[in-house]
Amino acid sequence: MQIETALLIEWVVKSTILIFALLTGFAYTTFYERRLLALIQVRIGPNRTGPFGFLQPAADGLKLIFKEELIPANAYKFVFILAPILTVIPALIIMAVVPWGGAIELFGRQIALGLTDINVAILYLLSVASISVYGIVLAGWSSDNKYAMMGGLRSSAQMLSYELSLGLAFVVPILLAGSMSLNQIIEAQRGVWFIFYQPIAALVFYIAMLAEVNRAPFDMPEAEQELTAGYHTEYSGMKFSLFFMGEYMKMIAVSAIFATLFLGGYRGPFVDTYPLLGPLYLFLKVFLSLGLMIWIRATLPRLRYDRLMAFGWKILLPLSILNVFVTAVIIVVFGL
Amino acid sequence: MRFSALKRDERAGYEGHIVPASSLLEVAKALRDEDGFDLLSSVTAVDYLTDNEEEESFFEVVYHLYKSTGGGAEVLRVQVPRENPVVPSLVELYPGADFQEREAWDLMGIKFEGHPDLRRILMWEGFAGHPLRKDWKEVYFEEEAKPFGNRWPGGQVYRVEDQNPYGKNNQYPDGFDPESWVETEDPLLYENLEKAAREYTEDIDTEQVVVNLGPQHPSTHGVFRMAVRLDGETIVALKPVMGYLHRNHEKIGERNTYIMNMPFTDRLDYLASMSNNFGYALAVEKLMGDKVAPPERAEYLRVIMAELTRISNHLWAIGFLLNDLGAFFTPALYAIEERELILDIFEATAGSRMMCNYFRFGGVARDLPAGILPRMKDLVNERLPRKIDELDLYLSENELVRSRGEGVGIITPEDAIAFSATGPVLRASGVPYDIRRADPYSIYDRFKFDVAVRYHGDVYDRYMIRVDEMRQSLRILKQALKDLPEGEILTGHNPYQVRVPAGEAYGRVEGPKGELGYYIVSNGKPSPWRYHVRAPSFINLTILEKMCVGQKVADVVVNLGSIDIVLGEVDR
Amino acid sequence: MLDQWLFVGIFVSIAAVFPLLPLVMARFLAPRKPNRIKQETYECGIETVGDTWVQFKIQYYVYALVFLIFDIETVFLYPWAVSFDVLPLFAVFEGVLFILILAAGLFYAWRKGALEWS
Repeated sequence: MQIETALLIEWVVKSTILIFALLTGFAYTTFYERRLLALIQVRIGPNRTGPFGFLQPAADGLKLIFKEELIPANAYKFVFILAPILTVIPALIIMAVVPWGGAIELFGRQIALGLTDINVAILYLLSVASISVYGIVLAGWSSDNKYAMMGGLRSSAQMLSYELSLGLAFVVPILLAGSMSLNQIIEAQRGVWFIFYQPIAALVFYIAMLAEVNRAPFDMPEAEQELTAGYHTEYSGMKFSLFFMGEYMKMIAVSAIFATLFLGGYRGPFVDTYPLLGPLYLFLKVFLSLGLMIWIRATLPRLRYDRLMAFGWKILLPLSILNVFVTAVIIVVFGL
Repeated sequence: MRFSALKRDERAGYEGHIVPASSLLEVAKALRDEDGFDLLSSVTAVDYLTDNEEEESFFEVVYHLYKSTGGGAEVLRVQVPRENPVVPSLVELYPGADFQEREAWDLMGIKFEGHPDLRRILMWEGFAGHPLRKDWKEVYFEEEAKPFGNRWPGGQVYRVEDQNPYGKNNQYPDGFDPESWVETEDPLLYENLEKAAREYTEDIDTEQVVVNLGPQHPSTHGVFRMAVRLDGETIVALKPVMGYLHRNHEKIGERNTYIMNMPFTDRLDYLASMSNNFGYALAVEKLMGDKVAPPERAEYLRVIMAELTRISNHLWAIGFLLNDLGAFFTPALYAIEERELILDIFEATAGSRMMCNYFRFGGVARDLPAGILPRMKDLVNERLPRKIDELDLYLSENELVRSRGEGVGIITPEDAIAFSATGPVLRASGVPYDIRRADPYSIYDRFKFDVAVRYHGDVYDRYMIRVDEMRQSLRILKQALKDLPEGEILTGHNPYQVRVPAGEAYGRVEGPKGELGYYIVSNGKPSPWRYHVRAPSFINLTILEKMCVGQKVADVVVNLGSIDIVLGEVDR
Repeated sequence: MLDQWLFVGIFVSIAAVFPLLPLVMARFLAPRKPNRIKQETYECGIETVGDTWVQFKIQYYVYALVFLIFDIETVFLYPWAVSFDVLPLFAVFEGVLFILILAAGLFYAWRKGALEWS
């Protein structure tokens, strides 16, 4: 297979841009979360580092990198170090298939805004999403800490309960668009966003994705009150921040996927004329979705472990099965 | 009394009956089953050590029994010799005696025969001696009573530690070497945990795990530890461990003069210092008699402050119960918004926001400053009702709060009484027992209010009862602020030293967390001979084990939060 | 198409190297003075008792079994959903029937008590 050098350079540049975008996104999501939480709780939040506290993430990162990293004497060292890496990788690569815009002209080349356009993107998303739980389970297991152990186990239980609903929620946009390629799903939303056709699927998807990224009210694996910090109790310094990074990048990634599947992705007014607006629209949608996640964290108490599983299996799953069924029947009957 | 064994206590200033140790169980059983004294409020011990050759030294174990339907106390005393003091344990009859007997064993060295788990509770297992005994001297011991004479020789501050850096009363158990000591686990505790776990059977033969929840964190109610045995996520056995904040409040209280103890009580339940003052003032006033009966205005001010304290305490309790449920601080921060305004009033009146030190024997320390009364009225008539409605609106019907609270940590009314639970914990189980009504003190009999009761005894009801109680407190406050008379606030002048006649008194108030009692024995000297605090947080914890066994890990934290403890009071 | 996958491959390899960077940086920048106390297992300041790696009771193992079955079945729906509009009506109804069977399976597991948290 022949690959042009220019194409190779394009790929590497796009990969690097995406990784740095995610990295910056992660840093500023933490800042966004702290400021928004503070706003909701009638506090001020971090505002001392730089103008409006904008340098706070840099200060945090700097602090964390100079922190001593402790490894418990009884931990399984290799896995203990591997686990945070395994958590970050899926959080990064899940974004590979999400398009950020149409194509632009640069240096006389057509450059697609988006890393790849594979025809089974949805399958890719689903598989990457399910491997991301490994890092957490391994971290919990290798720490030789009882809280961590329980946090890791809870995390796998949560995955069991929400992956199915997530999978079924994916079916609906596929049905509507007739494709598993995210670009075509976005194209299919040229007129009306899928969230208006399929509010229930969107709701199920949003709930399942909250559980997927361990956000409140599904933050069982790191339930502060009873498990101190859950699976990452024993982690410190940079290894801890990798978990943190993984969690926040996943938040960004699932928000982007949600936007793509139900909110029309990068589409918005004038995006066909000015393709560079695409990333901006996507950013706005991700920003709003993240804000909603933070708002939920600020308001809701945590579900209990067993109730969470019951909710996933007895409410969310039947609801999504029913939704797929009804959608299919409607499409057939009305020939949409 | 129909028991031949009972002997009326003839000493001046004492009431109740003296029971021989051998017939204690029989008498207690009859009192409980026939006379309805089903609530064992307080168990404590007094060391009557005397230098006088003619008198005999002895320990006296004092039991205060009440009816859960209301009324006065039946006081039982058991006198045992100082050498090898053994008293039968009441745990079988009154499970609520559990921690209190352990405390008496720990601090006074009285053995309770038949107690299932007689370990130290506040001191650590390797501690030598029993610190509340009168012949036990602390490290850096100076004198029996304050003020210590030698603090200002030649105008210089002089501390005994500077002279004698290692103390002169260090006592170690036999064979203990502090140099080579390393901290080990507590074998007795884990043994007991295993004993409790043996009753648990399961179809699948999996291994159980022992986990410590606390002291450093889960969940941050202070340095409180629960040793838990888990099968999966289910609690098989649980033992509370406390004492990390123990400072021997009672021993220090016995060194202090009476008036010095007033600010010291602030430090017990530091979220409700006004109530602490109230109970202590009542107990000492009981001893001092009518000459310190507080004037009208003082009585009203006392009630106002106590009820404001109750509201601020409940706001705190609800806010942090939600935190325990996993809400990220938002309910807590909203709930304590109005608490700040209450604290502003305390600050304006008493000079301090949390350590108020406001009550005096025969009144209160200061009158309301100018301009504070309208603010209090605004608060009580406008802001607080709105805040309570707001909490009620946003929290009470919240799906997650309901699902996490309903049916969790159920306490039956029988259990609640048997385990000596008081306050909101008891009333949430359907027992309408409120000392303000059951055994009225101060001027509570003048106000119209209902005793809030809820009937399920679960976490949700313990949350709801606090909302109800705040509403009732507001009713009292409205009446009290309307009727607040002008006049004196203190009978007599504000003394540096009070004269307390010999005798004993048990003063109790309905604190925000439950029955707060002070048992004081005076021998006519400037310091109390015995100063005992019946701490509601401490005694309400007795039922924690029963509440939690069989439930999930996540519920333990919530159950603890719904009891509402403050470690300053638990550990004393 | 294949080169698109190659692209994913390149991205994955870059992403795999990426988390190593901060770890390596921290190795040079962060202090390292381990001692026995620091390396103890954290259990709220109390020394941990007993083994962590025990036969832990995982109360959701039945869920896990049910999950395994359903997850595979869900994936079968994907190709059906993609070619929904080109399939003959019979195949479409077969798919709908499949969803119904899925629902029936869930209902069965529910009734059997597999979804109760023991």
